[in-house]
Amino acid sequence: MILEARGLTVRYPGASRVALDQVTLGVGAGELVALVGPNGCGKTTLMRALLGILPAETGETFIDGRAPAAWKRGDLARFLGVVAQREEIWVPLTVEETVMLGRYPRLGALAPITAEDRAEVRRALERCDVWELRDRLVETLSGGEWQRVRVARALAQQPRALVLDEPATALDIRHEMEVMELVATLVKDGLACLLITHHLNLAARYAHRMALLDKGRLIASGTPATVMRAETLSQVFGWPVEVQDWNGAPQLIPLRSPDP
Amino acid sequence: MSRSFAWLAFTFAIACGRAPESAGPLVLVDDAGDTTRLARPAARVASLAPSTTELLFAIGAGPLVVGRTKWCDWPAEAASVADLGDGINPNIEAILGVRPDLAVLYLSPGNASAASRLRGAGVPTVQLRGDSFDDLARNAELLGRAVGRSDSARSVVAALQSGLAALDRRGDSSGPRVLVLAWDNPPMTIGRGSYLDELVSRAGGRNIFADVDAPSAPISLEAIAARHPDAILTSSVNPGFVSRPEWQAVAAVRRRRLVVLEGSEFSRPSPRAPAAIRRLAAAFDSLR
Amino acid sequence: MRSRRLVLLFLAAFLALAVGLMLGSVATGPAGVIRAFSDPTSTENTILFSLRLPRVLLAFAVGAGLAVTGTALQALVRNPLADPYLLGLSGGAGLGAVLAIALVAAGAWTVPLAAWVGAMVSVALVYRLATVAGHRLDPRILLLAGVVVSAFTGAVMAAVLTLVPSPALRNAFLWLLGGFGAASWQSLIVFSAYAIIPAALLVVGARNLDLLSLGEEPAQYLGADVERVKQVVYFSSSLLAAAAVAVSGVVGFVGLVVPHAMRRVVGPMHRALIPAVALTGGGFLVLADGVARTIASPLELPVGVVTAVIGVPLFALLLKRSVR
Repeated sequence: MILEARGLTVRYPGASRVALDQVTLGVGAGELVALVGPNGCGKTTLMRALLGILPAETGETFIDGRAPAAWKRGDLARFLGVVAQREEIWVPLTVEETVMLGRYPRLGALAPITAEDRAEVRRALERCDVWELRDRLVETLSGGEWQRVRVARALAQQPRALVLDEPATALDIRHEMEVMELVATLVKDGLACLLITHHLNLAARYAHRMALLDKGRLIASGTPATVMRAETLSQVFGWPVEVQDWNGAPQLIPLRSPDP
Repeated sequence: MSRSFAWLAFTFAIACGRAPESAGPLVLVDDAGDTTRLARPAARVASLAPSTTELLFAIGAGPLVVGRTKWCDWPAEAASVADLGDGINPNIEAILGVRPDLAVLYLSPGNASAASRLRGAGVPTVQLRGDSFDDLARNAELLGRAVGRSDSARSVVAALQSGLAALDRRGDSSGPRVLVLAWDNPPMTIGRGSYLDELVSRAGGRNIFADVDAPSAPISLEAIAARHPDAILTSSVNPGFVSRPEWQAVAAVRRRRLVVLEGSEFSRPSPRAPAAIRRLAAAFDSLR
Repeated sequence: MRSRRLVLLFLAAFLALAVGLMLGSVATGPAGVIRAFSDPTSTENTILFSLRLPRVLLAFAVGAGLAVTGTALQALVRNPLADPYLLGLSGGAGLGAVLAIALVAAGAWTVPLAAWVGAMVSVALVYRLATVAGHRLDPRILLLAGVVVSAFTGAVMAAVLTLVPSPALRNAFLWLLGGFGAASWQSLIVFSAYAIIPAALLVVGARNLDLLSLGEEPAQYLGADVERVKQVVYFSSSLLAAAAVAVSGVVGFVGLVVPHAMRRVVGPMHRALIPAVALTGGGFLVLADGVARTIASPLELPVGVVTAVIGVPLFALLLKRSVR
């Protein structure tokens, strides 16, 4: 297991309710695990707790078998690439400069940038299909291009695992599919990937396993077929849905209100 | 209805209009160009400038002074007079509190509104410029008439003028070249035309910054060093600056040729001017 | 390409130093410089070696320090309007200095020391205000805390100045507006010895500043110890800026404009940006100080006035170009 949570309970300071309640989850090498659930169910909280940013009230988390606290900051950044939900850059960086930042965990404070670093950056840019954009300022990129650049930066870290928090939100169909195809390729190459998304249908088509959270509790986990059941989903999302099969993947269809 | 309205308007106009100038046979034209009339010589004078206080005591009108500024430190008797605070933008209430029949302000833009407010409250007010020797003589004459001591004023002016004439080394090219320092950080010099500058020239000194046409101005240390003053004269600066490393570039500092003058007679026009000049001249002589 | 630009900036800074040496109320062209070297008793020698050389070098050091501080603070608060005095520092320093001047405190180092103490007190105050939950430094609150402390110290300073005799009042203002008139080899050595540590910390932390520009969360994921970085940047910047104000009053616009200009020349990555702003800030302040002591000779303008007069139109030009 590359990323693991066991019986994880997390409470925000001063809160009466727990944000996560006894969640157990694991992601192995070459696996794409999708974490889904309604807004506010605790997906980002789980990610932060897994990474050791939030303390656990009870339970444990492991990264490559060790607790997050046992990891040195630099080692962790060389092992794990994280693309957070939001990022606001306030200076005019080019795409190449942004991706070069992914090399910083390997460079440290003083070492100069070598040809090998530049080669790795190039590889990352090419895998994410943004090499032609390398001299563009990031503020001029489209949503999909920017997301791919951020994934490229995570790749430049040469990680063994990726955590992506809603990477395809607010992207149109083409850009969304581009990101998902890219992630699928990376996972096939051996990366472990935890993908947080609210796009259930895409998750069902790409993920090996899914985990459904609701109000901090793990409602269902396993293959997409196990998790994507109409009754479960209707209850969790508070809306009547139907599940249909498409090319072997269960797809969710929210039902319309019946005519009065 | 229209009649009462007219009456109202009339009263309003009277109330808003300029307070009537004091009437009387004693006419005083001050340095602002305003005319003030007094029915009789003033018996309670609020003096809002140190040089005015000095003059009033010098002409024997000390007992008539009912208020002074906190800077009025001469003569010693002035200490027992009520302290009214600042002379510029003064405390009107405090002035009215001593019930003066004449207020004398220092002529400056900051006092313009104070003057009209005092007049509006019924206190005859004059504004006097007190920056140079000429001002001294003129002010003495005006104040003498205002308090009914014209003879006394005339003799004070005469004594002043003979004292000045007795010791006047202006144009003496053998006198020491001095830096007249007002402040050390940043260095500020006294310029041409200011009172201290005139005292210095009458005492035979030559201000190295006589080309600076302002009462005081910040100058660079380089300029001081380049002009090689024989001595540094200061009446207000803590002489601690002589131990600062950058001032060692000035020869006069290295050789400790410093003249420190204590006493308020150097900072404002005063009947003590002849004595001040004598002290300066003696200091210059000791430098030769 | 970037290194070539850095070399050019280095040469420009050197040129600025040379020009600065020749400017002054005592006009010293190349002939004067030669005379200064050849004749140890000449006036030129005294002026150049005792006064102008340490002054020019100090102006360079302070300019470099202010520019680096401004750059680091802009990275810390992720706001291009940050300048070295953002953290309430100038108010505290001004209050300290004004109190020292008003109380006519003796001693050669009293005013700079008082200014430094005042600066550090307001730095500590701002830090307390901006620390959330006891230990996390929140850059957004930092901005507000700086404004609040500045307003407070400014009000107290105004009160002191009202109660103080008039000549000292004007002199306090002149000191506050900034100037290198008190420069000497001593003050140069003291400033440099002191400033080298915080400056080195900022230089070494250049990559962390790059990561901060992504935001705190992404920076953390890329290996930055974000809380430690914020603290180091905050205190190094404060120490540098406090020293600058103690030595030469409040000199504005260097820390604000130079980082903006240099981002356009060498880009926003701090490994190139910090040396670039140091060279440019130093050269700029040397020239500004040269103008300040030459343009109204023998009178000397406060250098803060010159940097503002040059800096404001320059800043406006930069803004216009960036909006395009």
